[in-house]
Amino acid sequence: MSEPLYLLPRLEPPLSSLLDAGEFLHPLVDALGSPLNVLLPERIAENVRRFRAVYRDHHLSGRVYFAHKANRSSALVRRLAVEDSASVGADVASLGELQHVLACGFTPDRIMATGPKDPDFLWLAARSGVTVNLDSPGELDQLAEIVRKYGLPRTDVLLRLSGFELGAAASGASGVRLLSRRSRFGSPIEEAAELLAAVERHRDAVELTGIAYHLDTTGLAEKVRALEQCLMVMDECRARGLAPRVVDIGGGFGVGYVADAGQWNRYTTALTEAVLGTRPALTWRGYGYGLRNEAGTLRGAAALYPAHRPDAGAGYLDELLSLASPLLGRPPATLLLEHLFDLSVEPGRALIDQCGASLARVLEVRRMGEGTGDYVVRLAMNAGDMSLEEHGVLVDPVLLPRPGGGGGESDAGPVGVFLVGNLCLEADLITRRMVFLPRLPRVGDLLAFANTAGYAMDFHAHQAQRQPVARAVAVTGEGGSWSWCPDEEYWPISHGGGVLS
Amino acid sequence: MRYDSITDVIGNTPLVRIDPAVHGLRHIDLYAKLEMLNPFGSVKDRPAWNMARPHLAAAAERDETVVELSSGNTAKALALLAGMHGLTFKSVTNRMRVPEIKELLLLLGAEIEELPGQSECLDPTDTDDPLTRFHQALSEPGSTYLHTDQYFNPRNTEAHATGTGPEIVKDLDGRAPDWFIACVGTAGSSTGVASVLRENDPRVRVLGLVADKSDFIPGIRTIDEVHQVGLFDPATYDTIEPVTSQEAIDGMLTLIRRCGLLSGPTGGAAYQGAVRRLRLVDAELTDSDRRTAVFIVCDRAESYLSYVRQRRPELLGAPRRGHHVSDLTDADVAAGAKTIGTGDARRWIADGQPAPLVVDLRGPHAYAALHIEGSVNIVDEVFDELVRGGLPFSKSRPVLLACPVGEKSARYAALLTRMGHPDVRSLTGGVVAWRDAGAPLVRE
Repeated sequence: MSEPLYLLPRLEPPLSSLLDAGEFLHPLVDALGSPLNVLLPERIAENVRRFRAVYRDHHLSGRVYFAHKANRSSALVRRLAVEDSASVGADVASLGELQHVLACGFTPDRIMATGPKDPDFLWLAARSGVTVNLDSPGELDQLAEIVRKYGLPRTDVLLRLSGFELGAAASGASGVRLLSRRSRFGSPIEEAAELLAAVERHRDAVELTGIAYHLDTTGLAEKVRALEQCLMVMDECRARGLAPRVVDIGGGFGVGYVADAGQWNRYTTALTEAVLGTRPALTWRGYGYGLRNEAGTLRGAAALYPAHRPDAGAGYLDELLSLASPLLGRPPATLLLEHLFDLSVEPGRALIDQCGASLARVLEVRRMGEGTGDYVVRLAMNAGDMSLEEHGVLVDPVLLPRPGGGGGESDAGPVGVFLVGNLCLEADLITRRMVFLPRLPRVGDLLAFANTAGYAMDFHAHQAQRQPVARAVAVTGEGGSWSWCPDEEYWPISHGGGVLS
Repeated sequence: MRYDSITDVIGNTPLVRIDPAVHGLRHIDLYAKLEMLNPFGSVKDRPAWNMARPHLAAAAERDETVVELSSGNTAKALALLAGMHGLTFKSVTNRMRVPEIKELLLLLGAEIEELPGQSECLDPTDTDDPLTRFHQALSEPGSTYLHTDQYFNPRNTEAHATGTGPEIVKDLDGRAPDWFIACVGTAGSSTGVASVLRENDPRVRVLGLVADKSDFIPGIRTIDEVHQVGLFDPATYDTIEPVTSQEAIDGMLTLIRRCGLLSGPTGGAAYQGAVRRLRLVDAELTDSDRRTAVFIVCDRAESYLSYVRQRRPELLGAPRRGHHVSDLTDADVAAGAKTIGTGDARRWIADGQPAPLVVDLRGPHAYAALHIEGSVNIVDEVFDELVRGGLPFSKSRPVLLACPVGEKSARYAALLTRMGHPDVRSLTGGVVAWRDAGAPLVRE
């Protein structure tokens, strides 16, 4: 085998020390079964602190909302519930999520309802008094109707706008058109005036508190432009006598999964070469992750999450707030502050960076075909339990040897393996790429997929095949020792046994 | 020298020897092919003209728009050529990262379409990347585009095989150089020149330079990106090596400051990459072996000042003059700034003899939206300029400075006090505190 192409995960405390604690994790999986999801609620508070520090540096007020859809854990939401209520909120995208965060201790004034909404969801939102981030004029009409029909108090609403792809005039520079990816969420900004007129018509039922956008892009320039256009709409609101105060810029701040830039660059170059056929395949049946070889020229785009990023999460927000805006010239942070607006953000993935890992036991290690050198490692989990691949995130698992498992000469040294799942389906691969490990795993070892709390952990898990679905536990560490409880039993204020911590 | 058209001036660029005292190679004569002296300013003038020339007349009849995926020099040349023929030019790119180039293109009348950034959440249904959509739009029936297609058009390579390459051989008295060094962008110049040189002498060694993967050098692609270029053939190159932006700037500085060649970063990368490689070659040579090497200076420095400012700000540092808030330490501000809270400020404005001049330091858009009644707006950047020269207010008039949270205004209050103004105060907590206290803000 040539040089192993590692993509080692970025690990920070406490996740880094947890993954060193094999003597704690092995019995846990023995007791609770594989797969097992482990959550670190203390770390989410640290991530909140990092976002708040960016707010503080720019003198901004407003809330950081956790986008609940990224992980269904109770422990994480409850841990956030004890944070400062003026600065931390929860963003819910379904009726069930709304019920969950209310039950976890969030008061309605700290909750925002986003995403596609059905009437029940709208009713409970309006009934309990959470802010509704409106997706369309139809949703506004429906909400207003519900408020009137059931005699509910006026509901705070944000208008979510989209379609910032505008011609030269609006983009501020002549002859430049900034294309953006089409989104099915939000109302086109060209229709903002009609929307505001509708808000005025429904004044008895709703109160406009802000303007929102969410762009699915890593491009900072597009986001700054959208933010600036939202400021223009805020202006229009003030001219109409409305008094919104919040500009909500959504999420998409990213997570850096791979620690080392060199590893990421080497891997993606090797992938390109493999697709072009100038080196052996790195993937199951030559899968190209969206890249293809057309007569020796590389076509298509790699459908990969940019897994190594120097600036992600709070760092990305800081960068976004510090860029010069194209039309008004001043950085977004300055504009928000000078206009006396509050900033809302909804980081999902970025707020649960380093907050969890998915563990799976090795069930079988098999050589595929004599002389090919390909190994297949079967895990007691499936692609639904840990869907990094589904999201295009490429990062290696950490091998946790079974204590006292012994060693053999034959399995020494780095090896490339394909990780397959426990379903009777050809397509059930945990990784479509060959994963390089420091040595061949043995039956009974654990593989820990680090940093899976955001979207990857159980996001696609289901009961259809009657395979066990992962249990989730919350762990806390103190003075080098770890304790755990089921996710649903975690409360941030007690140590168990009813004693306040 | 008289010409009928500026396009007649394209090509026939000089080959200039680099002083050995600069590069330090003992057995190798190093020459720069000065493509920056083409009339539109770069090596791309040749392929742009060669690709567009056969189609411009017909395109003008059909009122087509010339379109190209280009972030720089090809777009510049095509925009000028299109303009000369009464056509518009559109550049589609997500790589336009050098502001001067973008502004220059706008000046030339180009339209620019910037492709969206990478998706943050992977959407498996998003099978077509923006480039695929772009190509679909071009090939739609009834589309009115002249697409020069520089990454796949053989006339790109041909421009160099019939121009750049033969010129080098002619200027070296009919001999091909031993080494040819080129940065790889569209691969047009390296492929075209290399083919001619090898026809002349199959022993010619070709060094292709690419941008280091985590770095950005205008006009050069990374090792992964070159594979997306239809004209790129790995067999053209004996070696492909990466160059960093810092090396490119080092090379650019040497060419500018020591050789009198006003090269941009691409030429700098070619020089630096060439010398780095040739030093190893030179060490193996003896006095009886003389070799020649040629690299291309792609374009000129002027368009890359902000690129340099971002990566090597000290090269463009202007000396500080006059008074500036950054001269004050936090302790100076704490000790020197007089402050006043919202309640007292309101009474001062109402009853002061004389009443203070209220200066709002926020941006004009924010000021226009809401401000303290009677205040004047002097944006902090303008205020910086004003105070450099001296006090912008009479000492007989008290001044109340307001900014968003009272931090900036405190710095200015301390500075003006130090400059001798007897009564400048900063609004504590700024306009935010004023608003939170329920004091009135107006929109006029």
